This record gives sequence, structure tokens and C-alpha cells, in this order.
Amino acid sequence: MPRPYALLAEITYRCPLHCPYCSNPVDASVCERPRRPQDGGYRNGELTTQEWKRVIGEAAALGVLQIGFSGGEPLARHDLVDLIRGAREAKLYTNLITSGIGLDDDRLRDLRDAGLDSIQLSFQSDESTLGDEIAGARAHAHKLNVAAKIRAVGIPLSLNFVIHRRNIDRLREMIDLTEALGASRVELANVQFYGWAFRNRAALLPTREQVDRARDITTAAKARLAGKIDIFYVLPDYYETRPKPCLNGWGQRYLTVNPIGDVLPCPTASSAIPNLRFDNIRARNLDWIWGQSESFNRFRGTEWMPEPCRSCPQKEIDFGGCRCQAALLTGCAADTDPVCEFSPNRAVVDSVLRNTNSSNTHPRDWTYRTNSEPELTSV
Amino acid sequence: MRTTTISDLARPSLAKGVRLQIDSTTGKSVLLYPEGIVELNETAHEILSRCDRRTVGEIVRELAEEYEADSEALGADVRETLSDLQRRKLIEFN
Repeated sequence: MPRPYALLAEITYRCPLHCPYCSNPVDASVCERPRRPQDGGYRNGELTTQEWKRVIGEAAALGVLQIGFSGGEPLARHDLVDLIRGAREAKLYTNLITSGIGLDDDRLRDLRDAGLDSIQLSFQSDESTLGDEIAGARAHAHKLNVAAKIRAVGIPLSLNFVIHRRNIDRLREMIDLTEALGASRVELANVQFYGWAFRNRAALLPTREQVDRARDITTAAKARLAGKIDIFYVLPDYYETRPKPCLNGWGQRYLTVNPIGDVLPCPTASSAIPNLRFDNIRARNLDWIWGQSESFNRFRGTEWMPEPCRSCPQKEIDFGGCRCQAALLTGCAADTDPVCEFSPNRAVVDSVLRNTNSSNTHPRDWTYRTNSEPELTSV
Repeated sequence: MRTTTISDLARPSLAKGVRLQIDSTTGKSVLLYPEGIVELNETAHEILSRCDRRTVGEIVRELAEEYEADSEALGADVRETLSDLQRRKLIEFN
């Protein structure tokens, strides 16, 4: 049995921003309502501080070495400092993945003193007009301010930009901003189409011309900044001919716990693969779920694979691609990722690309991510 | 970066945000950094556990004594490992 290395703790889906590329479930009210059968009988809503501490302890015992606190906006939870302290006590490397909204000097000092190892701060663009438009909120100026404060308290800072049709032409400026803010690492992540991003795909997918330019810019910047800033470029997989090695294989290295305690092989699995049953931390311990549950074993290894994956020499390299993407594009999570040129469903991806790249198609408007607000549980 | 650029007097230390830790599952050393984990081989472990204000020259001498190895060959190994770690921004020199 493989052991997990990293836990993504999505401690809340609540978020002050409205980014149309969010990978959270479109029906994010899942965090407030007992929606699925396995939730019956449990307390509604987000996990409590004590429940998260139990998850952290069980993760460390399973072999997890790193924890990412994410969401939604993790700062929306008032017990974040307490959870980070707990994770450090369990010897986990702690990373906070945040929009920066809700960070001030006091909170930053508390986070540092609790032992937070690193902060990944998201930006929507390099400047406020476009950045605020994408976020659906006035956030950019605050983020600049927060970046300086993070540097001042001495927590290592990396930046994250989700790249899409509306901001991909500003990669150069985004890299300049990374340098100016003194960050040591930047993730330029082409949007992946799950959750809200899947709904907004027609507005977000860049053109082939844009993607080609972006590749040249990042290649040059990587060479120029080698040894100074790590540039991590996430490819736009629809434009690739082989699928991404999603998660390094299902149930091999990573696990996610979502706000209500469902334990997932990947953060988007519960919304993308509705017919797979995910076990909940309120009913089972993490060890059992990782090793024994149906969801973690369903696509583990290579036995589940259909052709053309089953006889493909790449099957231990890309693991058949992404199960969520297969489910979203073909309706069947066990299909070969349609991004693969050998997939019998590659035409689905090609037709999306044709629409985006045809000269008579205008970019579409997007739908902003909204927060559902029934009976918010405060923790 | 060429390995010869590392001076005997340089003092390597872990870069900011990087932690050296024992992986309790395997008993081996690992470096933890934002969104990454490096499992260390024995050479890298022996070097990094001495990166506490000691110079490269001191580290090489100590290891050569401990392993009764030729200090010139060992010095080249140490420099290669250090420059690899530096390229990955996992250590820095003071």
C-alpha cells in the first residue's frame, strides 16, 4: 500500500472573492448542508477545530509530511492559527494557500509564531483594474500590501497566478511583479477545468496563439531567473497531446479533506464524479479511508484501466490522466482522459479548441463564483 | 553553476522555508519546502546535517576522516551535491 505525502486541508469553501476560475464545487453549499447520504446523522456543516486536529494527527501517523491549508479562503476560519500550531506539533510542513484577504500584521505574527512555514499568495493579474475585475472584488491593492507584510514578518512567500484567456497576455508583467515583491517562487498555472472553471470554460480557455506566446515567455523567464526565482508553469492540458500525470496516480501520494470532512483522492473528485461514494472523517478514520475505502481503491494502480491505457507503455507515467476530467468530458470517470491523442474521445477536446480558435467566435462572458449563504456555521 | 565556484570557506545553510527532517515512515532524511519533498541519499544527509555554520572545507575534512576517504574525491562529491541543492534553491551560502 502506498503512503500519502501531502494533505490538502480545504477547511472552508467560504471566500470573499468571486473568481470565475475557482475549482470549488459550483454547489458549494455542500459545506453547509447534509447533501449526500453518508452525511445523514452527523452534525451539519464544517468540521470543528477538534475534528481537524484529529485529522491532522491521523494524517501524520499515516506518513503525511506536508499540509496545505486551503479553501475557499482559509483565513475565514478563526481557528486557523490553532490548526497550524497543531500541524507543526505533528511535525508537518505547513503551507497557507490564501488570497490574503483577512491578513493583517497581528494575524501574520500569530501565524509565524505558530510555526507557519510558507505562504502562497494568489494574484489575479499584475495590476488592479484587471485583477479586481477577475476577482469580482477590490482585492489587488490589499494583496500588494499583504505581500510586503509577509516579507516583513519573515515568512517565505510564493505567488500563484491562475492563467486564462483574459490575463495570459500579461505573463511578463506577472513575472516582473513576482520579482518586485521579493517572492522566491511563482506558480503560473493555466486554468484547469473543474468546478466554476468548467462552467466558465468558453470564457477562460486561451487561444492557441496565446498559449504559444506564453510558452516562449515562460521559457525565457525561467532561464533568466534561474537560481533566483523558481517558475513553475502549469501547462494548459487541452492543448497537449498526452494527459497530465494527475496526482501522480490516484490514491498514491495525496489526499484532500474537504470542509465537511469528506476524504477525497483529489479536491475536485466529489463534484466531478458524483456517482462515487466518498467516506467521511466523522464516520471513519483516515487510515481506513486511505487504505480500505472504495473511493481510494477505485482507480488505484493500473487494473481499472480500459484500452487504450491498459496496453499503453505510458500507463505508469501518466496513469491514464485525470479521472475528474474524464468524468466531466465523457460522463465516465474510468475512461482515458480525453486530452490523450489515443483517447477515442479526443474529438470532444478538439471541438472545444476549434470553437475557441475559430475567428468568428467572440470570447464569452463568465459567471462569477458566488457563495451560498444558508445557515453559516461559525467556528 | 560549476562546482568549482564553491569555495572552501563558504558556509552552506538551508534556504529560508526549507526544513530538514526525519521521515518517520522510512527513517530517512527529507528536505521539506513549499509544495515539495526531497528524499536525501546518505551523502546529502551527511552533508546537510553539518550545515550549521561549518565551512565547506570543514565539512569535507570531517567526512573524509569519518569515512577514511580520499578528501579530494570526497570534496568533489560534496561540491556536486551542494551545487545541485543550490540550483534547486534548497540551500544558500553565507
